Formats: sequence, C-alpha cells, structure tokens
Amino acid sequence: MNQNMSIMVVDDELVVRESLYHWFDREDYHVETASSGDEALKKLMKSNFDVLFVDMKMPGMSGFELLKKTKELYPDAAVVIITAYGSIDTAVKAMKAGASDYLLKPFKPDQLSLVMEKVLRQKKMNDEYTYLKGQLSKNNRFNDIIGESDAMKKVYSMITEVAKTDAPILILGETGTGKELVAKAIHAKSLRCSFPFVPINCGALPDSLLESELFGYNKGAFTGANQNRKGFLEVVSGGTLFLDEIGEISQKMQVDLLRVLQDKKITRLGDTRQIDIEFRLLSATRQNLDEKIVSGDFRNDFFYRINIISIEIPPLRNRREDIPLLAQHFLNKYSQETTRKIEKIDRNAMKYLIDYDWPGNVRELENAIERAVVLTKSKTISLDDINFLKPSSSNSLISKNASLKDMEREHIKKILEDNNWNISNAANILGVSRSTLHRMIKRHHLRK
Amino acid sequence: MPSNGFSLGIQPIGEIDNFFLKVITGSFLGELSIKTFILPPLKSPEYAFNKRKIQYDAGLIINRMEKMKFPEYTKIIGIIDADLFIPVFSYVLGEARMKGRCAIISLFRLENNPERMAKVALHEFGHLMNLKHCQEKGCVMKFSNNVEQLDSNFSFFCEYCIDQLNYLLKK
Repeated sequence: MNQNMSIMVVDDELVVRESLYHWFDREDYHVETASSGDEALKKLMKSNFDVLFVDMKMPGMSGFELLKKTKELYPDAAVVIITAYGSIDTAVKAMKAGASDYLLKPFKPDQLSLVMEKVLRQKKMNDEYTYLKGQLSKNNRFNDIIGESDAMKKVYSMITEVAKTDAPILILGETGTGKELVAKAIHAKSLRCSFPFVPINCGALPDSLLESELFGYNKGAFTGANQNRKGFLEVVSGGTLFLDEIGEISQKMQVDLLRVLQDKKITRLGDTRQIDIEFRLLSATRQNLDEKIVSGDFRNDFFYRINIISIEIPPLRNRREDIPLLAQHFLNKYSQETTRKIEKIDRNAMKYLIDYDWPGNVRELENAIERAVVLTKSKTISLDDINFLKPSSSNSLISKNASLKDMEREHIKKILEDNNWNISNAANILGVSRSTLHRMIKRHHLRK
Repeated sequence: MPSNGFSLGIQPIGEIDNFFLKVITGSFLGELSIKTFILPPLKSPEYAFNKRKIQYDAGLIINRMEKMKFPEYTKIIGIIDADLFIPVFSYVLGEARMKGRCAIISLFRLENNPERMAKVALHEFGHLMNLKHCQEKGCVMKFSNNVEQLDSNFSFFCEYCIDQLNYLLKK
C-alpha cells in the first residue's frame, strides 16, 4: 500500500537509523538510511525521496543545513525534523525553514503514524495543486491552437482582447478551422473560466430537441418528458454558452434566443415560472450570415445581437506557413498515441502538404497525418504515405485540359469558397460587379 | 503444520506466569498449527536496563537472544514482564526485525490480559516471517501501539496474511 512512498532516515546514530528503518519497512514503505547530511545529499542526487526524517544534531552538516539544501534543491521532498527535548527553538526555526513537521525524541509510534498521515495528506494536496496548476496553465495557453502566421497572431490578439469583455462574439471560419478551440480559449481567458463552458452544435440537433436542450423542461411537457430537466441555459449559469453552427437555427429559435439575450430569463417547457440566468454567448458559423440575412433566412436583429464582435479564423490555405508546424505537432501527437515512432515528414511530402489546398482545413490535415502515421511502414512519412490526398479540383481541371466553361465555373467556385461566399469580396477579386457575379453563380448552378 | 522441521521456541525472560506460556503455546497451535517449545527461563536482562527511562532496550535484548545458541529452533520469541523501548520510541509492546530470528514481547502494558499477549506474539511472529503491517481491518498484522488498538484487532491473520504466512512456513 505504501510502496509508492520513498523515505530516507538521516541520523548519525545507528540505533535510531535501524529502529526507524525497521518501523518503516514493516509499514511497507520503501526506506533507505544515511548516516550524514553529505550521504543524504548523494542519495538524493541518485533517486527521488518523498519524505526525509532528519536528525537535527549531526556531526558535519547539521540537520538544519540539510533541511535548507533539500528544500532548495528538491522542494517537493517533505522533511521531518527529529530533535531531542530542550531544542524546541531549533524545531520552530526548522518549521520556518520549510520542515513539514518535527518529532521530539523519544516519541510514541502513534506520533510517527500521525506525522506520516499529515505528510501524506500534504503531499497529496501538493500533487493535486501541481496537477491543477498544470491544467490551468494548459487552459490559459492557446494550447491547442497552433500557428505562428501573422493571420493567427491577429486571432490570438483578438482572443486576448475579447476575453476581457462580456460581449457576445461571433466566430467565423470554414469547417475544420478550429472555431470551438477559439471559443474555449476565450472562455479560458475570461473571468468566467471557473464556470462551465457549454458547447452545443445547433446543426446537429433538430429544432424541437434544441429547444428542450436549451430551455429544459418539466415533467409532462411533451411525450417522453418523464422528469424535470434543466436546460443548458440554466446549466451554464455564470459560464459561457457556445452555439456552433448558429446559421442552422430556425427563425423561431432565433426569436426565442433573442428574447433570452435581452431579458436574461428563461421559462422551461411545460412551466410558467421564469428563471433568471446569466451567461456569455459565443457563436460560430461557417456560413455567410450576411447572405442569409439577404435571403431572409437569418434575422437581422438576432445577427446584430450575437455579432457585437466577430473573429475570423483564416482557412489553412491562407496561412500555409503554419502547415509544417501543425504537421509536426500532429505527427508528435499521433506518434505518441499510437506508440509508433515516426520521426519526421520528408521534404517532398512536406512540400505536398504545404501546396495542398486543405478544403477541410486543420481537421483534414490532422486526419491526414493520423492516417499517414498509422499506415506508413518506415520512420519517415513520404509522398507515398499521403497519396490519398487528391489535388484540389481547380488544379486537377487544369491538368486535364478542361473546357473554358468548366475552368470559369471552377475558378468562380474557388474564389467564392476562398471568400466564404462573400459576394462583394469575390466580385472584387474576379473584377466583375456583384450583379454579374450573381448571374454567373446562377448560370453555373453554383451552390454553397 | 509446517512440514520442513519448523520449530518455534518461547523464551521466558525473568519471571513469567505459566498461564501466559500455556496461552501462547495454544495460540500458535490453534492459529498456525505450530508446535512451540518453552525454553528454560533467562535472568532479568540488566544489561538492557536504562536507568533514566526505567525501561529495557528491546533492541539490546534481541541482539543478546540472537547470539544464544539454540540451533534446533527456527524462530524464538522472548516474553518479558517489563516495559520495553527502542531508541526512537518511548515504548513498544513488542519488537521484531523483518525476517529476523528472535523477537521480544512485553506483558507490561497489556494489563494481564492473555488474549492481548497472544495477539502481540502472533504479530511479532508475522514480522519474523517477513510479513509487513497489514491494512485489513481486524487483521492481527495491523499496526497497534496501545491496548485499545490491540483490542480492535482479532487474534488471527486475515486471509491474505495467512496465505502468505502458510507459503512462507512451507518454504
């Protein structure tokens, strides 16, 4: 039971060392002894010890000196000072210098048990603290968002800026660009970070289900509502609600959510009582909401409510300089996960990855690297390992001597996709007016 | 019963009531099927007496016992009716070294209770056989430093300890 704990008894008296050694040995601890401070430091250099029992009075290096050196070099090791009656002042001094506890010689075995319990409790708390601190700093970094390009630096700076505010944010970006990661980073850096982050994919839920998931329901509200259930808007209380694919929600749901954002109150389905709620809304979409407003599919007032600030995540093809970094990151990740020691991606394969258009963005790159790691037969990923990546449609058409009409269609489609179907931008790039572009879209039967 | 000629000697040190010696013999026979032999009593160990503490040093007594020549006994448990200590602890109810040959138990703090004595003897015997302290509730190998803790333990080994002990006894 105690085998994971390692103890060192440091005392110049053999009988003390032996007594404590036998006691700890019987308690099933891993125990070693040292007859001087120097010997103890040598042992500390070689292996880890969780607890040191150190006699205060030793010839040469005193127990106090050993305590100070141990705390300086191995702060995680707990030190318990053993001292004789009459040297309580020294014990107090030792406690101030970082000792976990002290024992006055001779002591009852009970006292030693109590000290060990206390040290173990302290160690457990320290371990938990270190773990949680690590987790927290992990959350605070842009840990899972990778990229050093200027475009991504702008995104990082936006995240830092908007995290401080409580304004609703609309995150824009193609599929696979990492919209949820940006939302998580905003939440982690905000004052709400200790409250829940609740992500909901609106595109994945039918309207009626989304309504009951968001607002909750009372028993009997509809067939199958066998018990009262809190909705995500209640669960999120104080935290951040992330609505992904917000462009997919119905007009009715837009009205309901608009009311919630204005009144900060909800009513569960099948209930009449209003419940006060408090949360921050982050939304994301890959669609062009401007277009949806024009076509009448998205409410103007709701759009302005959720789009106080927007962050646009660039597609991977617009930040190709990040591809080697991302590829290496995913290579390390999947090499570790699959325990296949794949060391690198060769030059030709990397060039191909950089030139590839990545319609599925970072997610597609991640999947490609995972697949290559699993399938490769060597320690280096070569072009053969990624030949499942087909060149983008425009490139393939060029190589196939396509007709002018096909070329025009593919080019317009590519420019539209590159610009997230923003008609004004695409028309600008193509050098035509918006109405001409609309006509071309119609003529070529292009659709999002 | 151990088949490989295992033998346990009980060594009275100073004056020990015959009743306690019978209880200890019965305990080892009943719990472990080990036949014990009562050795001729030794004199009170003045060499181990500490005048300042008014106690006997358990370590010194064990050292002396280990030097005695009783080749016919695999292990020996000494019994003394005096208060024992070891250098770091103010008192001990018994003392044994892991895998050692000799152990000592004291009747001094057991308030003339033979059942408690049997528990301490079985516990120290466990250490002589290389058993460590057990965390199983009630097991006689669970650490106890006073009569209250001792009373909360049974006078037998838990299933894990007895398995291990039987294995070690047959080795």
